[in-house]
Amino acid sequence: MKMIRNRFGNLSRVSVQLQRHVQQMATSAAVAPAEGATINEFRTAVANPGEHSALQLAKFYTIPAEQKKQIFTGGGLPKQYELQIKTFTEACLMVRNPALELLEYIKGADLTKPVVRYVLYGENGTGKTLTMAHVLHYGALNDFLLVHVPWAPNWMKRPKEASNAAGQEGMIDLPFDAAAWLVHFKNQNGKLLQRLQLKTGKEYVWSKRESTPAGSPLLELVEHGIARIKYASETTAALISELKQLSTAGQCKVMVAIDGFNAFFHPITRIFSDNKQRVTPDRITLTQPFLDITNYDWTNGVCILSVDKIAMTEGYMDSYMPRYLLGQAGFEHLDPFVPVHVDNYTDKEFHSYINYYLDRHWINKTPQGFEEQLKFMSNKNPYSLMQLVRAL
Amino acid sequence: MSTGLTRVWERLPLKKQAAQSGIRVFSQQQPEIEDEEEFRVLNLRTVKQQFQRRREVRRDPVTPPRTNRMAVDQDWTAAWPAPRSFHPASVPLPLRQGFTERGAAAPSKFANAELMKIPNFLHLTPPAIRQQCEAIKKFCSPWPKGLETEAKWQRHFPVEVITTDYLQSLPTIRNLEARRVTISLKLSDLKFDAHARDKFLRLVGDRYNKDTDTVTFVTDRCPLRKQNYDYAMYLLTACYHESFVTEPWEASKSEADMEVYLFERNQSKIAAEGILNWSAKEGDNKISPPPAYAQCVEQLINEGENEYNLAKYKEEVKKMLNV
Repeated sequence: MKMIRNRFGNLSRVSVQLQRHVQQMATSAAVAPAEGATINEFRTAVANPGEHSALQLAKFYTIPAEQKKQIFTGGGLPKQYELQIKTFTEACLMVRNPALELLEYIKGADLTKPVVRYVLYGENGTGKTLTMAHVLHYGALNDFLLVHVPWAPNWMKRPKEASNAAGQEGMIDLPFDAAAWLVHFKNQNGKLLQRLQLKTGKEYVWSKRESTPAGSPLLELVEHGIARIKYASETTAALISELKQLSTAGQCKVMVAIDGFNAFFHPITRIFSDNKQRVTPDRITLTQPFLDITNYDWTNGVCILSVDKIAMTEGYMDSYMPRYLLGQAGFEHLDPFVPVHVDNYTDKEFHSYINYYLDRHWINKTPQGFEEQLKFMSNKNPYSLMQLVRAL
Repeated sequence: MSTGLTRVWERLPLKKQAAQSGIRVFSQQQPEIEDEEEFRVLNLRTVKQQFQRRREVRRDPVTPPRTNRMAVDQDWTAAWPAPRSFHPASVPLPLRQGFTERGAAAPSKFANAELMKIPNFLHLTPPAIRQQCEAIKKFCSPWPKGLETEAKWQRHFPVEVITTDYLQSLPTIRNLEARRVTISLKLSDLKFDAHARDKFLRLVGDRYNKDTDTVTFVTDRCPLRKQNYDYAMYLLTACYHESFVTEPWEASKSEADMEVYLFERNQSKIAAEGILNWSAKEGDNKISPPPAYAQCVEQLINEGENEYNLAKYKEEVKKMLNV
């Protein structure tokens, strides 16, 4: 009798495996041409973030590979998530409430008004960066020029190289970081820049022999900065002021997305000046342009900023609230802004994520109540969940 | 080796024999001495008689504790009229105090140092207090009319003056501590405008207790109580009137000196006005930010951040910016 039962157990397991396999084949088949064939309940075929609505809430959509390459090559997705994407061989993002809220604001925004600053805030690992990635995807598909800083604290905490700025007394240049950002900008907006044919409004003189005349394409300006790393910081400043003027003139739309924005208002950086003293972020030449573009004095754009505890250093990480993280100066700089809270998963989102992991065969052992257990252990925090299932 | 041993053996008995010759063994016991009288001992070396009778100390029998004889309805104030350290025989209570090993009862009140160490209030029983109050009643004047409730007397006498008198058995009846005067009053009893209130609080500094809303002056710099009292009243008066004076340098009060965040004088107002009047031309009426928004910014910064304040701020910003 027991033997028979065992057989039955084996049989049923095999059948489940078979079913899964069939489903997987079906989905992989569906990816290419026909959309509506068989799509799991936790997936959505709507790959355009502009069409996402509450219907797609807690469902996964896939960012096509070439778009992902265009937007996120220079960063923008957390490293762990990038690894997960590589493992699962698909770039899936969950449609979540904060992103939907932001998209709704952006779609309904009156672009003739001064830019509205949206500030994402929330506990560690709740998905601020991925919310931003979702919105960036929307921006890239809807002809926004992306001014995207994947992780601003990198400049303050671990710059590649710091040197004294040539023109400005007492300022620090981060030439390599600036050039890397210019490459990132070019990756994201190269096609759009070519199509829009944006021209510089004034002449920029870099040195005795080098200058960018007024009326030259923006792309040329960017390429100059990449080629002449020494002037990358100044080029960045020039590019951003040009973008501000052009968008105010109505020639383009700009989406500013800066992750870890509060790093610009941190009391100190890890960069040392000539007299071996730590410099403040406002002494870095890269800070000023990005503060300029987050100011309210231009139109035809949106600003999505995130404030993060881990952008700060020890002793400044008590709360995840924006006023605390930005400090007096930062709050005054951004006020009035729209705070957007990114929270832990809801039950529905959590369930959907577990299903996704099961679908990817990332969770193999499924003992009784494993989902409940994961829920309690991770407190429905996305990052904790990712870390927990990593070892399974 | 063996020869040596035998030699020793032969030598030993010789000595033994010599010793045995001196011992006489008695088979029967000596008869006991029955009479009380001692033998007279021949005292050759004129040593003092060693065996002397010890004198027995006559002790009075321990009297039973006084509590045994106490009547149940006795006048306790007579038994224990004044402060005194604990005495077991005078207190008819089965008290126990102290620590012994586990499980055993605490030591009883007799010969218990623990009970003597701690202060007792056996002289301050309610009947004793009542008795004493009755006794001093004839020295008291009647309670003034119109001051029946606490609210009333606080309204008529907002300033509370605290002094302390000392009684002591010294050649002098003066005590230095008696000069100390403490006056306190509720801040709400004084009439202020916003500037004066802020200035008064800055003048009095930590003499103001925020929780109880009271200002307290303690003066002890003069030798006499009267002088100290006058000085305290002078301080109060001077601070109050000084707080209404606006000095010319007060106009230079910067944001760092502000006691609260005010929307009106901050960058937030400029930014909000800039956004609201973005497309306005010269000469147009300026739109000022809505008061609800101003209020919630003030609340956010003055009360500190929490989810509620931030959500309110978000609502107001959305309303103002038409998001």
